[in-house]
Amino acid sequence: MMVSTDPMHQFQISRLLPIEAGGYDLSFTNSALFIAIAVFGIIGFLAFATSNLQTIPGRAQSLAEIWYKFVAGIVHDVNHDDGKPFIPLVFTLFSFILIANLLGMFPYFFTATSHVAVTFTMALFTIGLVVVIGVWKNGFKFLKIFTPSGVPLYILWFVVIIEIFSFLSRPLSLGMRLFANMLAGHVALKIFAGFIPTLAIGLPVIGVFMGGLLVLPLVVGITALEFLVAFLQAYVFAILTCVYLNDALHPGH
Amino acid sequence: MSEDLNQRIAEAQAKLDAQKQPSAIDSAKGMGVGFKMASDFIAAVIVGAGLGWGLDELFGWSPWGLIVCLLLGFITGVKNIVAAATEAARQTAENGSTGLRNMAPKSGQDKGDGA
Repeated sequence: MMVSTDPMHQFQISRLLPIEAGGYDLSFTNSALFIAIAVFGIIGFLAFATSNLQTIPGRAQSLAEIWYKFVAGIVHDVNHDDGKPFIPLVFTLFSFILIANLLGMFPYFFTATSHVAVTFTMALFTIGLVVVIGVWKNGFKFLKIFTPSGVPLYILWFVVIIEIFSFLSRPLSLGMRLFANMLAGHVALKIFAGFIPTLAIGLPVIGVFMGGLLVLPLVVGITALEFLVAFLQAYVFAILTCVYLNDALHPGH
Repeated sequence: MSEDLNQRIAEAQAKLDAQKQPSAIDSAKGMGVGFKMASDFIAAVIVGAGLGWGLDELFGWSPWGLIVCLLLGFITGVKNIVAAATEAARQTAENGSTGLRNMAPKSGQDKGDGA
């Protein structure tokens, strides 16, 4: 008997509802399904939690308040009062990434954030917004982010080149970190979990004990770690969005 | 009487604070700093390679565009890591927790000493 332990199989996109329009493949895929579940899940929960607001909040309202205050706290810590208009944006990004990551932790569920297409869309949108807001609020002064203060003139041209490279690497870094973490975590989980049946089949009696006593605790540990990473990546994405927005609001501090 | 009690509370609190272990959130933040450094470095190198390859294709500078831009990307990656590490160290010194908040350069200051 062959155990299916192909670690990449879980990332395959399959068409659930084939749609084709104007020569483009716009099919409703499993990825789209889980994005939709995440989005409507968040909207549904928050609508439910805020439908019956009370001075002394109930369970759902408390959770929604903690959730919102956590994100608002991040934005306030980084951007202070200038950040207020961006709380909804950061809240949306954080919530979507967090819920999409956590949905991916269910067995047989698809992890939407393990695909570059999803993470890069968010990263490019974030950096695009930084450029738009920076130019809109500061005009040409926005270019100051490329010229750090206190650098002697004879080396400034070089520093500017480095800063431009650094700026261009931001969306890549932002999108890649999220996608790579989710991908790597799920692959590691699948491979280690795959050891258990492989051992059990390969070594009739000892293998069962080895798999159960040595590998299973490891898999449990990695699962716990993955829950941490799922939260952490949403948190990092939110923080860095704030930090980059801070650059747009105050270029060349 | 009440002063005595206050003092005892303060002493007990100080004892508790002293033996406080780094919380799970703190170690998670440390992990976040690590991930950020790694991906910032790799991203800068990839941007360098991509830009160099693009310039080569556009202007026919092959292979110089790739060579120069890849090196510049590498330099940028190192600079990104140094900036992140400087900021994390500054935050640790400031409030004792591993800093992820405000981690990236606040443009001026640490880009200044990075250069």
